[in-house]
Amino acid sequence: MSSDITVSDLKKTFAGGARRARSNAPLFDGLSLSITAGELVALVGPSGCGKSTMLNLVAGLDRPDRGEIRFDHGQADIDLSVVFQQPRLLDWLTVEDNIRVVFERDGKKKGNAAHITHDLLARVGLTEHAHTYPQFLSGGQRQRVAIARAFAISPDILLLDEPFSALDELTARRLRLLLQDLWLGEGHRPTGILVTHNMLEAAFLADRIYVLSGRPATFSSIIDVDLPRPRSLDDPVLFDVHRRIMQALT
Amino acid sequence: MTDAAVTVTAPAPALARLKTGLRWRALAAASLPQIAFFVFLALSWEGMARWLHSPLVPDIATIAREFLLICKNGFVLQEIGATFVRMSLGFLVALVVAFPIGIASALSRTAARFFEPGIILGLTVPGLVWALLCVIWFGVSLASPVISVALGVLPSLVISVQHGVNSLSVEVIEMSRVFRLHRTAVLRRIWVPWLYAFMISGCRVGFSLAWKVIVLVEIFGMSNGVGYQLNAQFSTQNVEGVIAWTLAFWLTMILIERGVFRPLEKHANRWKKGSSHE
Repeated sequence: MSSDITVSDLKKTFAGGARRARSNAPLFDGLSLSITAGELVALVGPSGCGKSTMLNLVAGLDRPDRGEIRFDHGQADIDLSVVFQQPRLLDWLTVEDNIRVVFERDGKKKGNAAHITHDLLARVGLTEHAHTYPQFLSGGQRQRVAIARAFAISPDILLLDEPFSALDELTARRLRLLLQDLWLGEGHRPTGILVTHNMLEAAFLADRIYVLSGRPATFSSIIDVDLPRPRSLDDPVLFDVHRRIMQALT
Repeated sequence: MTDAAVTVTAPAPALARLKTGLRWRALAAASLPQIAFFVFLALSWEGMARWLHSPLVPDIATIAREFLLICKNGFVLQEIGATFVRMSLGFLVALVVAFPIGIASALSRTAARFFEPGIILGLTVPGLVWALLCVIWFGVSLASPVISVALGVLPSLVISVQHGVNSLSVEVIEMSRVFRLHRTAVLRRIWVPWLYAFMISGCRVGFSLAWKVIVLVEIFGMSNGVGYQLNAQFSTQNVEGVIAWTLAFWLTMILIERGVFRPLEKHANRWKKGSSHE
């Protein structure tokens, strides 16, 4: 089941390091955000405003100084997937095994790993590369594997951390459509958070766009994208949304 | 396109011939330079022997006669076998000890600081010292060669493991955490294959170090093995004997390199792009 995500009164400060000059100002202070199960929201904003940090906090890779992040079930019972900017595949496992490996999880039944993997490989168009090692694939193909891996566990929550920013525009465009297909194809759509610098991508994929800015960061604008799905990348309404985001940012 | 058409329409025997031809060419490319080296070495040696005309530099025929003599009844294999068992045991002991120390040093700064003086000590002390001390302490027993080889090889293996653990990217670890991979999956699917690929070259260096130590132990405290034989030939001033035994061991090492390390390395690196070359 997909899950609500409730972020309340979040505070996070990075001490020292390269950002010494700004180290005293927290990245967030009292930030709250609530996402309904099955929604996909986008976080946009200038570099360093804390988008990726927010994602890391939700993913459990980092801890807040204050505040909490709640899901419908406890953290340990949530099936959470991330598509990172880089595919982060295990280069020494074949494409197929890279997807199957996520079935070897803590306290989870394996499920029909072989069947699901086979099906996902077909859906991302990599069946013929099932036994290939990732280093022998193109960047776009590797990211397809990462996307398939993210959907393999039928996640409750799907975090997308600039998933297409390392790819050329044509490949990125295809993968955005693929992601939409997979997301819509899930029995229960995972609750999604997308972090991106591409405003058109945000408009295309998200139900709602949060514009983060300032330090400590606040949501300077929240833009609803009320468009039916599946969406088309060339829908003129997207350009309108794009313009509104840019206005909010500048 | 043209290539594909040729391949498809070529009759089977022609295709087979083409394949065989390519295989021969690859084999020749791989072995001719090495054969050339042997020929060059033999010719230079022979030239030197004739020019110096000294019993200290025996000619190729004399060395060959001596080599055949030690090969008689498989004697050379017996002695090399004894040396290899000792070397391998010592090497395995070092490998088993190197893993926990290397992993601990990679994961904990305190552990790294704790082990660092020991590693430097190990790197500094010559194999000769380990050989002497072990012969003094353990006498003519299997413990002497095994322990001295293990001590001689350990520091470089620890460094290898430590580098291997450190070089796995944090991003992969984060991925395994996000997907909450089971501990055994992390070990089996991430650490073991990663370290396997990383350690092969470390093991190769370690094995050659082991040889340098074992010879010394056998010279001082063993009654058989290649080191003992080298010493025996030396004490009777039999230069061709020393050369023949060295030659035998060298050939064995080439066989091990080709038969064990190369295939292992190829297997461990099969997933790397550009690893298919010899």
